[in-house]
Amino acid sequence: MAPAIKIDRLVKRYGDFTAVDDISLEVEEGAFFGLLGPNGAGKTTTINAIVGLAKITAGSIALFGHDVVHDWRAARGFVGLAPQEYNFDRYLNIRDVLIYQAGYYGLAGPAVRRRADDLLERFSLTSKAKQVYTRLSGGMKRRLTLARALMHQPRLLILDEPTAGVDVELRIELWAFLREMNAAGTTIVLTTHYLEEASELCERIAIIEAGKIVALEDTQKLIGSRSLQDVFLELTRR
Amino acid sequence: MSNWTGLWTIVKREMVRTFSIINQVIWPPVITTLLYVLVFGYGIGSKITNVKGLSYAEFLIPGLIMLQVIDQTYGESSSSFFQGRFMNSIQELLIAPLSAYEIVTGYILSGIARAMFIAVIITVIGIVFVHTGPINYALYALVIVLVAILFSSLGLVFGMMAEKFDHIAMLTTFAITPLVFVGGVFNPKSFLPPVLQQISMFNPMFHMIDAFRYSYSARGDAPLALSLSVVAILATLATALALTMTARGYKLRA
Repeated sequence: MAPAIKIDRLVKRYGDFTAVDDISLEVEEGAFFGLLGPNGAGKTTTINAIVGLAKITAGSIALFGHDVVHDWRAARGFVGLAPQEYNFDRYLNIRDVLIYQAGYYGLAGPAVRRRADDLLERFSLTSKAKQVYTRLSGGMKRRLTLARALMHQPRLLILDEPTAGVDVELRIELWAFLREMNAAGTTIVLTTHYLEEASELCERIAIIEAGKIVALEDTQKLIGSRSLQDVFLELTRR
Repeated sequence: MSNWTGLWTIVKREMVRTFSIINQVIWPPVITTLLYVLVFGYGIGSKITNVKGLSYAEFLIPGLIMLQVIDQTYGESSSSFFQGRFMNSIQELLIAPLSAYEIVTGYILSGIARAMFIAVIITVIGIVFVHTGPINYALYALVIVLVAILFSSLGLVFGMMAEKFDHIAMLTTFAITPLVFVGGVFNPKSFLPPVLQQISMFNPMFHMIDAFRYSYSARGDAPLALSLSVVAILATLATALALTMTARGYKLRA
């Protein structure tokens, strides 16, 4: 079975600056994988290369065996991305944000509308269904980001700082939801600055520093008897 | 091309946008046209008794339709695409299984729909207030479609290149508006000095307006085949440019 993600010697350069420098890694299907690193380490660039928002300078990425460049249509259909920044369509109400998102993935009809309603219900957004996203609170926007990423039922869910700026209660609620998704078979890749979140959720972790992978291990093996924070600081101290 | 639902979703989204800002997109061209008809058609135009066998108001209507179709098609296509880049909402399309062909076609089809909607409203104004309407509906639709393809594509190109809204306005301010105004909206070519008559043959807007005028009066200042060819070639080139830039991810994919 092909891995959910197979990154082979990925390089991404912006002019003279190398954002991602020859990284290789595999994420098995069904895994809960953490991609950690300080600001500017190359996490978001790697994610952008996976989802097609960044052009690959060298190397390759395959999702479930489909190359993201040569077989991009199949590869993109597998991925749901919850980006860190809110980038919703300001002309659509949030129910339509979900329905149109499914449309971009080639899905339409009553089943899509039902799924949108189910997700709005699941994330406690039903009462806001007819409002535009600018009227939502920060926590609601964060939940909407996740709901939108799930509309086309992706096999791979990529979460870029999914709990940034949300309160403890919502964070714990989201953790429970993500565990549930993962238990149901969805592969999850998570980037976060909350190391506690990564150690709590992720079975395996890669730490990126200055565009290079400096650690790639099972979480428990990586941490050992120490805390993830100690390991992280040791590996990323510049 | 295989994601037809995705393409149709782009068209629907653009239509939602258009009607959610109807006071910016639909009513201004309608009100402006009414004012042109009132001031130029009935007012100043009443002093001009015959323009190529037509009243001045009758002569004016097809030119005004083209003026608004060009202006609104470019303006909406460019601002919608640029806003998508500015707000990052364009990423919804870029990470979806949508090809450059599907994205560009979606924007162009919505541009055509918008252009046709505006053209029909102004046509009705012409029928009601000036008692003039098209006599060749196939040509009427063909010219609107070609012009909408051209300016939707140019809108995408400038929407991709622009770094701020000001850059989008540059094409309108320095090219589209001047060329349309000297391109025969308000006067036939024969009203111009001989030198300007020759120069106007190189003005693409002249050919768009002249070809469209054939659909109203079966006559124009240049051969219809020449004007249609100019518009079709420009539309093809602009579409090819928009497609190439989108496929390469110009300022879309880092």
